[in-house]
Amino acid sequence: MTPDSIPVTPVSTLECRSCGAGAPVDEHFCPQCSRILALGRHGDYFTFFGLPRKLTIAQDDLERRFRELSRKFHPDYYYNASPAERLASLERSSYLNDAYRALRTPATRIEHLLAIEGLPPTKSEGESGAAKVPPALLEEVFALNEELDEIREQREAGGDPAAIAARLHAARAPIDHKRDEHERQIEALSARWDSQLQTASPAERRATLDALRETLLERNYINNLLATIEREAATLGSGLSALGSGPESQKPKA
Amino acid sequence: MGKVVGIDLGTTNSLVAYVRDGEPRVIRDSSGDALVPSVVSLAEDGTIFVGREAQRRLLTASSRTVYSVKRFMGRGIEDVQDDAALLPFRIGGDAGGVVRIGIGDREFTPPEISAFVLRELKQRAEEHFREQGEFDFEVDRAVITVPAYFNDAQRTATRDAGRLAGLEVLRIISEPTAASLAYGLDKKNRGTIAVYDLGGGTFDISILKVEDGVFQALATSGDTHLGGDDIDRALIELVIRESAGSKNAAGSKEQDPAYPAETVQAIRKAVIQAKWDLSDHEHAEIRVEPIAGLPNGYRRAITRAEFEALIRPLVDRTLGPVRQALNDAGLEPSEIDEVVLVGGATRTPLVRQLVAELFGRMPHSDLNPDEVVALGAAVQADILVSGRREMLLLDVTPLSLGIETIGGVVSKIIMRNSTIPASGREMYTTSVDSQTSVDIHVMQGERELVADCRSLARFKLRGIPPMPAGLPRVEVRFQIDANGILSVGARELRTGIEQSIEVKPSYGLTDQEVERMLIESFEHAQADFDARLLIEARNEAETVINATEKSLRRPDFAEITGGELTKDEIGQIERALIELKQVMVGTNREVIHEKTHALNHATRHLAEVMMNRSVREALAGRNVKDI
Repeated sequence: MTPDSIPVTPVSTLECRSCGAGAPVDEHFCPQCSRILALGRHGDYFTFFGLPRKLTIAQDDLERRFRELSRKFHPDYYYNASPAERLASLERSSYLNDAYRALRTPATRIEHLLAIEGLPPTKSEGESGAAKVPPALLEEVFALNEELDEIREQREAGGDPAAIAARLHAARAPIDHKRDEHERQIEALSARWDSQLQTASPAERRATLDALRETLLERNYINNLLATIEREAATLGSGLSALGSGPESQKPKA
Repeated sequence: MGKVVGIDLGTTNSLVAYVRDGEPRVIRDSSGDALVPSVVSLAEDGTIFVGREAQRRLLTASSRTVYSVKRFMGRGIEDVQDDAALLPFRIGGDAGGVVRIGIGDREFTPPEISAFVLRELKQRAEEHFREQGEFDFEVDRAVITVPAYFNDAQRTATRDAGRLAGLEVLRIISEPTAASLAYGLDKKNRGTIAVYDLGGGTFDISILKVEDGVFQALATSGDTHLGGDDIDRALIELVIRESAGSKNAAGSKEQDPAYPAETVQAIRKAVIQAKWDLSDHEHAEIRVEPIAGLPNGYRRAITRAEFEALIRPLVDRTLGPVRQALNDAGLEPSEIDEVVLVGGATRTPLVRQLVAELFGRMPHSDLNPDEVVALGAAVQADILVSGRREMLLLDVTPLSLGIETIGGVVSKIIMRNSTIPASGREMYTTSVDSQTSVDIHVMQGERELVADCRSLARFKLRGIPPMPAGLPRVEVRFQIDANGILSVGARELRTGIEQSIEVKPSYGLTDQEVERMLIESFEHAQADFDARLLIEARNEAETVINATEKSLRRPDFAEITGGELTKDEIGQIERALIELKQVMVGTNREVIHEKTHALNHATRHLAEVMMNRSVREALAGRNVKDI
């Protein structure tokens, strides 16, 4: 789950509830008494994992970090601890799980990056059916809608399901093509962001983020189109769900 | 601090296990039996039977004997109509509230019934520890398992049952993940595991990834209404159909409601035996001895093929959740390294065969499928209290959590298969000027509409500072803890004021209700205890009365006692006898004790005289029996 907007609270230090010492905000454990610290701030999942703010993340490295932090925070290991530590353990574990879920797939990772870089979320705009058509997709959307209307007429007139299925399949092809194109664009932009992290000016980096966001919006829109086609195929029943492999392989590979 | 155990609170059977020297072991009774049938029976006199004895009473006192209560945990009356129809005990409750089970003139909620089973397990464990010579044998804490697919209300009901049984519930964990822990002990390997758990009443499938000792659930799915009970039911219906058909050929093929509950239980017992036989043999016989409603009894040969054709639709129903879980985990069946079978119903060859086909590999069943969950629960309990860190279980929440929004649509806040603990936030505001409270309806389920999801609870947010409509920003925080149980907190962000939240669980007990039941159960426990002491006192009095009367009535009484007992002594005996008889009908056990003691005292000399005479006669060569 990606929160719609994440308030990044600028806190420089936090107080250890166990010993009262001050601790840097992104520490997990008190440098003084080494007890688990209450969550200092919500916001940056990359920092929480001790990772740079890069979009390329080695999956096995992320998993290893997740397991290590789980072993440090999990409530199982705080059963006999003080109430303050138990609460901190619950908070930190929950937050770790949220963070892991957000970072492990590229799409949610980009969403999170955009959020912590202060860009508006893409989700709400992209998901509702009433979203305006991205200009770059006007042509495809127009053609698809026309084709879908005809297919519906054909279906209501009792047309041959196999023929309708074939037509749906054909209508899907250009959209699939667009999606693949966008996937490649997103990959390229992600790589650019990573390379700019140290060197580029804030303006250049901002331009990359804006482009990422725009591409993501379009991709969300494309996914909605594909979902529409799927729904249309579903009304035909009969194992046509194998028409495509789903909007995208968002599923985490274990 | 007392002992800690792991408990598998099953639909059909329950078990208790603990860890000693790093090894989990189940606790058995003196005959080596680890299973305690999850059956509770309440006798007319208020005595409560649990386990085997209660199971026997299913055949003689069906309407006072409760089984499969797990199916009712955290559910409402409208959810359980189908089950209620076939069960011999009374099931009621208000619409939109918890199920209530009526036995005689008493009413119990499912957690209360489960608490009896848990108390029995607690006692069994305590006896075991006492026999082991443990000084501190009390069992006060437990990890209790639930089906992975149990929702919040069902988990909470299970935790309430633990509290009612006098146990601190350290953790509620899911059965398949517990099983994986038990297996993980021997093989500290890495890879993906599928746990297929077909128990008495529930089916679960969990996909886990194991690495560095971390058991991470990737996805879980299941059906909380599918298990061995349904297999039994299919067989019972077969027998009822066929026997009704033979009795009344022209009659309807509907189940014959005229069968007394005891007869249905006799049929149930017979089909379960046949089902077991068919796990090892190709042929079996369903055999019901003559009983009311079935005066000629019932006998029928059944082949494994017939049996499998009958239960195939049930077994096939497990495949949907399996695919769902694999899909959610992003895995193909071929990517699963190990398959583990859990639950008694996985002994059915058809189940094994289907699972093997599905995953393309033979499933593991090295550990007893009945015991593996309790073993895993014991391991988890040990992890919690001992601080052992070599293993860690990361479970997931089986169902998405959401809230009702405008138009009866559910807005999801925590997605299913999120690793727990998990949290989610949602912002609320007001729609009317100076509005100070907001109602929140929390749902669990995957569907879009409120009507298709499970209502968990209604919350009322109070104490919002009066402001123009839309201005307050109330952040509601949902927290699912490591037990998979939800809690909610709220704060108005502009003022920082914490909101008070009033919880109304939809199908659960409020904390106050649990407290009240806890008090009642103590009161009942005291009453039960008192009743038993009174019965013991009366029994003792009766023994003394009988012995005395027997002596007094002897035809040779005068001859034996002549010259040895004074008239006064005999008069005292008779007075003590009458007095004891008078107080015995009362309920004051102190007085009964006192008068029993008095009669004993009064007859002491008589007893000596009788004894001496016996000895003399024996020495004179006469048989003692003749005296």
